[in-house]
Amino acid sequence: MSNENITEPVINSAESASAAADNFEPAGSAAPNTNAADSLLDFDDDPLSATGVSRKSLVIFFLIDTSGSMKGKKMGELNTVMEELIPEIRRVGEADTEVKVAVLTFSTEVRWMYSAPIPIEEFEWARLRASGVTSLGAAFKELSLRMSRNSYLNSPSLSFAPVIFLMTDGYPSDDYKEGLRELQSNSWYKFGLKAALGIGSEANDNVLAEFTGSADTVVHAYSGSQLAQMIKIIAVTSSQIGSKSMTLSDETGRELAEEDVFAAKQKLLGQQIQELVSNQVEDSDVPFDTGW
Amino acid sequence: MVELEIGQEVEMEYGGSAKVLSVIGSGGQGTVYLVKFNGMKWALKWYDIDKMKKPKVFRKNLENNISDGPPSNKFLWPKYLTKETEDGTFGYIMDLKPDGFDSFVDILNTYKLEIDPLTGRAVKKPVKFTSLSAMVTAVINIVNAFRQLHRAGKSYQDLNDGGFFINVNTGAVLVCDCDNIAPDGSNFGIGGKPGYMAPEVVRGIAQPNVQTDKYSLAVVLFKLLFRGDPMEGEKVVRDVCLTESSELKHYGQNAVFVYDPNDASNRPVRGIHDNVIKFWRIYPDYIKDAFIRSFTTGISEPAKRIIENEWQKMFIRLRSEIIMCGCGRTNFTSMFVQPGEKTFKCPKCGMEFASLGFSDRDYRMPLYLGCKFYVCEISPDSDDFTKIAGELVENKLKPGVLGIKNCSDFKWRAKMPDGVFYDIAPGKGFPIWQGLEIDFGEIKAQI
Repeated sequence: MSNENITEPVINSAESASAAADNFEPAGSAAPNTNAADSLLDFDDDPLSATGVSRKSLVIFFLIDTSGSMKGKKMGELNTVMEELIPEIRRVGEADTEVKVAVLTFSTEVRWMYSAPIPIEEFEWARLRASGVTSLGAAFKELSLRMSRNSYLNSPSLSFAPVIFLMTDGYPSDDYKEGLRELQSNSWYKFGLKAALGIGSEANDNVLAEFTGSADTVVHAYSGSQLAQMIKIIAVTSSQIGSKSMTLSDETGRELAEEDVFAAKQKLLGQQIQELVSNQVEDSDVPFDTGW
Repeated sequence: MVELEIGQEVEMEYGGSAKVLSVIGSGGQGTVYLVKFNGMKWALKWYDIDKMKKPKVFRKNLENNISDGPPSNKFLWPKYLTKETEDGTFGYIMDLKPDGFDSFVDILNTYKLEIDPLTGRAVKKPVKFTSLSAMVTAVINIVNAFRQLHRAGKSYQDLNDGGFFINVNTGAVLVCDCDNIAPDGSNFGIGGKPGYMAPEVVRGIAQPNVQTDKYSLAVVLFKLLFRGDPMEGEKVVRDVCLTESSELKHYGQNAVFVYDPNDASNRPVRGIHDNVIKFWRIYPDYIKDAFIRSFTTGISEPAKRIIENEWQKMFIRLRSEIIMCGCGRTNFTSMFVQPGEKTFKCPKCGMEFASLGFSDRDYRMPLYLGCKFYVCEISPDSDDFTKIAGELVENKLKPGVLGIKNCSDFKWRAKMPDGVFYDIAPGKGFPIWQGLEIDFGEIKAQI
């Protein structure tokens, strides 16, 4: 039996101090393990008893505005669509990826729905209520704090960059720029898939584009039915793209370089969202008295 | 994309229409629906042609595949095309997955999710091979399916864990998603699934073909046996976050096999890759060597990848090396003690097993109640690895007496303790004893 140098787990997140910018710090040096006694019986040797294939993990962060202006129909629609959405994205991970969900709500205060990301199979939506102001900057800071190997992104195995989906209906009431600056120094954010949904006429798409990094991944909903459609489009598309490796295919026939693939997923997300959204808009462009 | 509505009628190319009953699932290229056509239920794959580079060429290829027919009955092959809609959207229908088959994805996960119809909650149900022989038979079936496909001059292109259904009781295999299959050398836009794609495809310097299929096949086999990713070890895990550029590096430009004998930089990590660490100790060297070759020299030299026929021979051998001990332990001979050249001993209960040596191979088949050998193992011209040729059974009239039953269609000759060879007709048997010799015709065997 050769090639038996096995390395120790890379789980020691609690030991290293949290750096302000979470740069995917590799955890502890892996110490080689000496060969265990080579008896045929000193370990579980049943060829059929396997655990599931080691999966990559993906956390989908929902940042949801629960300020007072969301009260009523908007919040009702949002709660309903989120409840329906969870079963729809259950299968996106397939055998490769374990998908977890974390929900951060922000109004006067910022609050996580659960104290840690929950696997999608077990996730149950807790209905949200709206009141207070729109502390988006505080939400960005809180997100940045939790998007760390020492906190919510502590899976011992490989992770995909997270999906971060922001929904808001108003202009931030605090200094969102300061919060965003902090978030922008977080590597998970840099490589993450970002998308945003503005709800109603008050929401500012420019602020949202500052957050996502491009206008392609910002959409707007003006009615309840649009809200439901847009949430589904963004959540399903981003979790599909986020939970899978990128198919790095290319027509040029030359060898791909790192810059060819940089942020390829974010670009793809932008394209797909725009495509899907334009289909929806076409439908709603039809005047009410035609097509009967 | 144009989604179909439940109840909608989709016109078929040669007349008639298929009625959409429900959604089965959706993938990267489109959605699969349950439909009714000509009084029977079928699966309809309906494409999202916006995501296709050349829908017309794709459709033409599909049409050719339909007229060529499947290479064997192991393929859920496209049956009929639909008419094109005004905007050029189309689909095809195929047989439904029969009952009793689980997806390869669920096997890798070791469970499947079933939705409780009352609560709507997802319940995990275990999915696991019920016997070691069924698992190895599944491997042989997969390899054989791709051998047949490649012999037909076609390549599968995007071989991955979503492409199979497997019966965990028998090892029967169905290859699905056959719509990207194309004549070797052609490609109609599919790149493949990362982790399964050959490094040269990941790097953008080659398109899928028969050689890249062979790489992907090795990944599929590795995943099924070792339950892990052949390229994901310490080097990859250290990246923590799998970004696009780290994938290009670890699966393309600088792919390193976790058990590369000359490069220990990417060994499996305990706590994450426990399956691979465990199973690497269990499998015999000839299997491990084949994977080492696939994922070391095979990375840069596509022509040196293991061909399907080699895999098939190896796994037929592996199946014949299974021992099901009376104490409940089932494993390969590599995990049994070998006190003598011709015997195996269970390290748990101490039971010893005699073995049968065949004239055309240098490994021995252990004998235990219920062990079987197959037609391809006693007829050199046969490729039939599913039909049982012989089985070790207990004589129904003389309890306690063990012998080999001729389950094949032809007569054998067996040497009895009196030194004389007797004819053994199909359906008959003979007791096993020290000095037993069997003459199958071209191939001979002895204890």
